[in-house]
Amino acid sequence: MQRKLVVLMVVVALLVAACAPGAPAAAPSGEQPATGKITLRLWSHQNTAFIQANEAIIAKFMEQNPDIEVKYEQFAYDQFIQALQTSMQAGTEADVIEMFGTWVCSYAQGGRLAEMPMNIMSYAEAEELFFEAPLNGYYCDGKLYGLPNEFNLEVGGALVNPALFEGKGVPYPPVWSDMDTLREQASRLPEFDGDTMVRAGFNFVGGDGLPFLLLQGILEQGGSYFAEDGVHFNFDTPEAVATIQLLTDMVQKDKVVDPILFNADSNDPWGSFFAGNAAASFIGSWAAGAGRVDYPDLAFDYVNTPPLFGDEYNFAADSGWGKVVSANSRNQEAAWKLVEFMTAEQANALAFNTTTGTIPALKALVENPEALLADAPWVEPTLKLLPHGHYIGDLTDRDKLFYEIIYPAVLQSLQGSMTPEQAAQTIHAQANEMVDAAP
Amino acid sequence: MTRAAIVGRAGEPRKERTGLRPGQHAFVWGSLIPIFLYLGVFALFPMIWVVVLSFFNYSPVRVGDGPLGLGGRNPFIGFGNFVAMFGTTQAAQLFRTAMMNTLLFAVLVLVVNLAITLPLAVLVESVHERLKGFFRAIYFLPTVSSAVAVAIMWGYVFHPQQGLINNLIKLVGLTPPRSWLTDPNAFFLGVPLAMVAVIIAYVWMDFGYNLVIFIAALQGIPREIRDAAHIDGATGWAEFRRITVPLLRPTLLLVCTLTMISSFQVFVIFQVMTSGGPQNQTRSLTMEIYENAFRYQAMGWASSISLVLFAMVLLVTLVQFRVLRTDWEY
Amino acid sequence: MSTVQLTTRAPHHRRSSRPLARILTYAILLLGLAVTLVPFIWILMTSLKPASEIVRIPPTFFPEQWTFNSYQTIFADPKVPLARFYLNSTFVAVARVAITLFTSSLAGYIFAKYTFRGKNLLFGFILIQLMIPFQVVMIPAYLILVQLRLIDSLWGLVIPSMVDAFGIFLMRQFISTFPNDLIDAARIDGASEFGVYRRVVMPNLGAPLATLGIFTFMATWNDYLWPLIVITTHEKRTLPLLLTWYTSQHSQRYDLTMAASILVLLPILVVYIFFQRWIVRGVALTGMK
Repeated sequence: MQRKLVVLMVVVALLVAACAPGAPAAAPSGEQPATGKITLRLWSHQNTAFIQANEAIIAKFMEQNPDIEVKYEQFAYDQFIQALQTSMQAGTEADVIEMFGTWVCSYAQGGRLAEMPMNIMSYAEAEELFFEAPLNGYYCDGKLYGLPNEFNLEVGGALVNPALFEGKGVPYPPVWSDMDTLREQASRLPEFDGDTMVRAGFNFVGGDGLPFLLLQGILEQGGSYFAEDGVHFNFDTPEAVATIQLLTDMVQKDKVVDPILFNADSNDPWGSFFAGNAAASFIGSWAAGAGRVDYPDLAFDYVNTPPLFGDEYNFAADSGWGKVVSANSRNQEAAWKLVEFMTAEQANALAFNTTTGTIPALKALVENPEALLADAPWVEPTLKLLPHGHYIGDLTDRDKLFYEIIYPAVLQSLQGSMTPEQAAQTIHAQANEMVDAAP
Repeated sequence: MTRAAIVGRAGEPRKERTGLRPGQHAFVWGSLIPIFLYLGVFALFPMIWVVVLSFFNYSPVRVGDGPLGLGGRNPFIGFGNFVAMFGTTQAAQLFRTAMMNTLLFAVLVLVVNLAITLPLAVLVESVHERLKGFFRAIYFLPTVSSAVAVAIMWGYVFHPQQGLINNLIKLVGLTPPRSWLTDPNAFFLGVPLAMVAVIIAYVWMDFGYNLVIFIAALQGIPREIRDAAHIDGATGWAEFRRITVPLLRPTLLLVCTLTMISSFQVFVIFQVMTSGGPQNQTRSLTMEIYENAFRYQAMGWASSISLVLFAMVLLVTLVQFRVLRTDWEY
Repeated sequence: MSTVQLTTRAPHHRRSSRPLARILTYAILLLGLAVTLVPFIWILMTSLKPASEIVRIPPTFFPEQWTFNSYQTIFADPKVPLARFYLNSTFVAVARVAITLFTSSLAGYIFAKYTFRGKNLLFGFILIQLMIPFQVVMIPAYLILVQLRLIDSLWGLVIPSMVDAFGIFLMRQFISTFPNDLIDAARIDGASEFGVYRRVVMPNLGAPLATLGIFTFMATWNDYLWPLIVITTHEKRTLPLLLTWYTSQHSQRYDLTMAASILVLLPILVVYIFFQRWIVRGVALTGMK
């Protein structure tokens, strides 16, 4: 019996090896099969609405280009950067990558990305078509490395749930003309089971939310988060402390959300809102697009939140998701064709923005917003704010600054284990350490 | 798999004929040369390389001048990485937090594991043979499960509202913790609650190994010794303490070493259950290595952390050898 | 501890004279059983509830309304060709098992039964390998795979672990006790050296090979960290990678994530039920983890 077992295992091994799922060596990206058909690979992060939008546009592309086959794969956001790093090292990354604009330059400087050919588009031409804030993420050292799909403005709006507002007798739709109104109303919205907050009133404790709110607060008080050299940071400022203090007060005094039960790790603003566990969630309008796909039955709206300080909005705007081409791709021409098709062709760009609920990066779509609003009405509050958005700047490593420096420090202040001053000093020290340690 | 501790039990090979006969050279060297060439590439070389890397500020993103991409923009920094571990930077603080967490985790896992498996093994050993096999088989079940699935499962068991544990606590009329996995201000006997949750999940997954080893060792205690103890009136706790534990000493030592070393290497359950949170209270050394090396591509720094992990494993192994040697002396 | 003999010793049952002690013993053992099994049952039950029942507070343990909806959703998901992922995991595990068994038994045999110059040095090298955890050499291992162009290939999960120091060590221990007379007799009958290994030694290694094989299989099947680094293409993912990928996409849908976990857990549990005796005995025999 024992011997048979071993023999059996060897036989199975050979059988399986014979029809091995992976070819012995990794097929280099974009290798052409014998049929003469080009295969392009496209990678993106996981977001149901983004996936749906990309799939539809890809299908259309393949219909118009029968000689090109596009294979589309997605990664959990947490693993996306690691997958990009390790595969670029090995040259096994996809031909076309959906990259976040604010990341692009660090990959371009490492020689990982292909420069956009002039025959596709020059920077001057792109400038005519696209907003400056999203486009600038793709423009590094005088060269253009891709095109944006969206104008990433994560601030100035919140998802609101009519049923939960009406259940607490709070006016709906809310008109939040200033922070005091918002705080007063939001403090009436949470639901408790004993001491435990089972439903948040206004959930702003997200990995994007806290950093964007901090930057917005600093800018609206007339401050700056950059040091004088424009590369290092300055977070040890009264403006930063005041902003963190405001957010901490909303948690500790107004109790609009419990940052221990509701944060980026569990019950994040997006997830908790669509699971019905938050009456309102502070988040970018893209959240509505993703929610509509994943939770078609939930009724919701997207409304403006007021400036944190004063009467004038002043936002830091990220570049946003777009498409770039790997320097390793063997099918540059086809890859750029796909990039242009997905980002610069108005009909496709519109389809992308309406499905995902993102703000268009193409000026034309915003100047005549009827088509966009017909299908994605919730982007309207954000469209009004676009003039107040300024490009966020080169943050060295945007994700590290946001998710591992600003977010945890502000969260600690919200949770009461740091004072706002300590949080600001921590962010200041760690952000500058990141700049100094950058490759 | 953790095997270091096994070495201590290596029996002496029997003395054979000396030298190879003419016809045997081809077979022996024909087999060993490929195997050791392979080990040279995939075992010896990586070990040397990781030591070398730890002396460089190396990132594969940058192209160096010298061999293996070292030198130039990936400069030699001597003991710089190791000195930096004692510094005040965020990276150094994270490393030290991770190291303390890993040690705390390993020690607590060991204590909890032994407190469960040793008495349980005695109980299993005392029941009828048929049932013994049954209990042993079930208790071993979690150890073969996919760690990722187990981590996802326990994440849900600890869910604040829907989770099994909090609802059981409510059922018996107590107030459950607000959140097991995300509350940085919640502690149980001074240990962060998230760490407690991870330890519970890990011990649940892992206790079957030690249990089975203990049962086998208990079966090896000669019956005469027990009978003699019974005649002397020793039963229950007295028998356990005076007969069982001393006779299990070598096994106990082996189990302690194996458990410690494998606890140092835990990755999945931290990564999937808590991703190191809240506030890095469950960040482990293996997560530090993984994130620094593959997310931030700071492979020199990550290599030096790898060597710290290696030193910890080595230390535990050497302590075991030392204790074993003292044992043999009398 | 030489458990080789011990496990074959006639069992002795100690029956406690006091019935209370016996009741207590069984009560504790049954409690342990419950703690071990209830989490599994809990997620199984969760996977059989409709999504609306799951979010109810307080939750139910057994579904009020039984449904296979979550499983149907997963089976119907075009992005989750489950058969593919089972095949990937099987391929990697079986390939590693077959290769490891071959190299371990071959080298183990040579170290056990031949004397040659440098033997102690080489075997010492094997022993040192036992002390090096994988995480320590993970970074260079990755850099080597980059050079070999094996990143994002299932072979990248097999090739770095084709020789297992522990396997060699284990096999040498077993083969040392193998009678030399049999080997010599085969030689006199004209068998080649490889023939002796293949036809005399190998057939007598069933138990240790099965033990080593099953453990290599389970370790490979459940491995997560190395595939996470190596594999990027969706169709090449192994089951644990698929599981985190799927759960991150459906993080709020516990019916789906628990059903996916069950689907990943199930095959290995079936393997366990079949090989349970071997596995448990193997642990007792080797202290293998």
